Amino acid sequence: MNIIEIKNLSKVYDEKTIPVYALNGVDLAFNVGEFTSIVGPSGSGKTTMLNLLGGLDSPSGGEIIIDQTDITELTSRKLIDFRLRNIGFVFQSFNLIPVLTAKENVEFIMQLQGVNKDQRDKRTIELLDSVGLGDKINVRPNKLSGGQQQRVAVARALASKPKFILADEPTANLDSRSAENLLEIMEKLNREENITFIFSTHDSRVVAKARRVITLEDGKIVGDIKRNNAPTVPHS
Amino acid sequence: MIIKIAFKNVWRNKVRSLIVILSVTLGLTGGIFAAAIITGMVEQKVRMDINNEISHIQIHYPGFLKNFEPQYSIPGADSIAGVISKIPDVKAVCTRIRITGMAASPNSAAGVQIVGVDPLQEKKVSTLYTTISDSGGGYFIGNKKNQLVLGRKLVDKLKVRLKSKVVLRFQNTDGDLTEAAFSVNGIYQTANNVFDETTVFVKKKDLGLLTGNENSCQEIAIILNDIDQIPIVEPSLKSRFPGFDIRNWIELRPEMGLITSTIAMEVYIILGIILFALAFGIVNTMLMIVFERTRELGMLMAVGMSRARVFRMIMLETIFLTTIGGIIGMILSAFLVSYFHRQGIDLSSMSKGLEAYGFDPNIYPFIKIKLYFHLTLMIIFTAILSAIMPARKALKLKPVEAIRVE
Repeated sequence: MNIIEIKNLSKVYDEKTIPVYALNGVDLAFNVGEFTSIVGPSGSGKTTMLNLLGGLDSPSGGEIIIDQTDITELTSRKLIDFRLRNIGFVFQSFNLIPVLTAKENVEFIMQLQGVNKDQRDKRTIELLDSVGLGDKINVRPNKLSGGQQQRVAVARALASKPKFILADEPTANLDSRSAENLLEIMEKLNREENITFIFSTHDSRVVAKARRVITLEDGKIVGDIKRNNAPTVPHS
Repeated sequence: MIIKIAFKNVWRNKVRSLIVILSVTLGLTGGIFAAAIITGMVEQKVRMDINNEISHIQIHYPGFLKNFEPQYSIPGADSIAGVISKIPDVKAVCTRIRITGMAASPNSAAGVQIVGVDPLQEKKVSTLYTTISDSGGGYFIGNKKNQLVLGRKLVDKLKVRLKSKVVLRFQNTDGDLTEAAFSVNGIYQTANNVFDETTVFVKKKDLGLLTGNENSCQEIAIILNDIDQIPIVEPSLKSRFPGFDIRNWIELRPEMGLITSTIAMEVYIILGIILFALAFGIVNTMLMIVFERTRELGMLMAVGMSRARVFRMIMLETIFLTTIGGIIGMILSAFLVSYFHRQGIDLSSMSKGLEAYGFDPNIYPFIKIKLYFHLTLMIIFTAILSAIMPARKALKLKPVEAIRVE
């Protein structure tokens, strides 16, 4: 089942002077439960793709249909709400709120969603347990290692029960052991709970774990390989 | 949650926040204390003038306050005073003879207001007698005739001392000049040099005989239980005694009325300027905070925090930062004002200048409670005003750009 459908997506910078195509007529679809890496050299359009999928940026043309909603048609306010309820983000530099504990960072998203306290508490503990930080719930980010912080970020991304998680270079700031550990956790969540992960990455370890690898170059898809038995929809 | 995050954010950079809080605290403490000194000085001056000189309400025969001549006497003054003393809000009433004249000693002479008083009545209306020190004699002691109570300043000018003779010269009710020798019986000293130098007191009975009309009375002075009752009592007196010139203390001393009516405005202007200046510091700090937290704010918007919530969070941070300083400033100033209200501030080194304008060199700072209430609103208003620019700056951030800021 398609969770994301991209039709003729393009993003042009400096449209009025010398147009630079960050994405140029991309068609793509993602299924529920995918564990996908978007790879490509710098400037190939990976980050632009992730920003557009996450509704953080608006395309110059084309459609992004997520669960039957074309997010390119949404107003800024509705898009924020859509992100809150449908998309989880994991950033390269963790981006946790430093004044909040691990538990509060995870809980925060649910508070924005209006989830009641009992449910919040229960889910926060479950999520932190699932990323192996059940013993760090009351610890602030500055007392956690980079790997632990990124695991809190994963738990936070999962807190809103999103339809998919976008992870932009999630292992870039981690040592190899932490990166390996994080990938194992995400892979486990994908395998056991069918959570969809889409990565933008340069990291070969992430690529190695991915069951689908999409290669971008000059704003166009030049490769889309599925591995194992992962459900993959080829771009048209 | 937004409130919790905003409050925690205030303490992220403790040194910077403490500097802002300290500047608000010190600014407000200084402002409130300065305002308390000004208010205290004026309140003291008003209280002193009312208690020593003018009382709350005075009644004169029409035209007296223009000419100050003895023939402008209030007919039936004692019976009028008797009626007034029965009004519930009236604390005390006294009748006075007031004429202008000359006080002369062998060394010098000075133009003066001669006030004839009934000492027992007068003590209920005026506290002037309390300003006579132990070395200053007394306030009409015994039944001895022609006793004189005069101010320290006039004593120095006439170069007299207790028991010295001073000749008072004035017009009687027939318009003829008359004079009599009085013995210095008491020396008072208020903080008002001009009053001390120009006002002498004698017994009403002695002065009445000399003016040629023992029942002469140019002034009825009334003191009320509470100054706030003037607007109730004054109109009632005017309707009961329509033929007389009835004035309250503000009408008798318009300059004092002006000072008291403008002092509140001045206090608010002083505090407004201080808060306005502080607002610049707060805006600067908050802009710095928004700039430093660009990536975090971008992340918050990216994960679904609405712009309204981001705006509210920055507003709350500014309000917390400002009101913490404001509250500490108000508490600190309350302690300071309260302490110095009891102890007083001795400005005797400047007493000459202050007394020339009738101000007591011992100042007891004072502030009205309602100022604190208004100040709280002013601080919140300042905080909101200071928060608008940084909060708008935060709103303009684009999450896609903000999350990539290093």
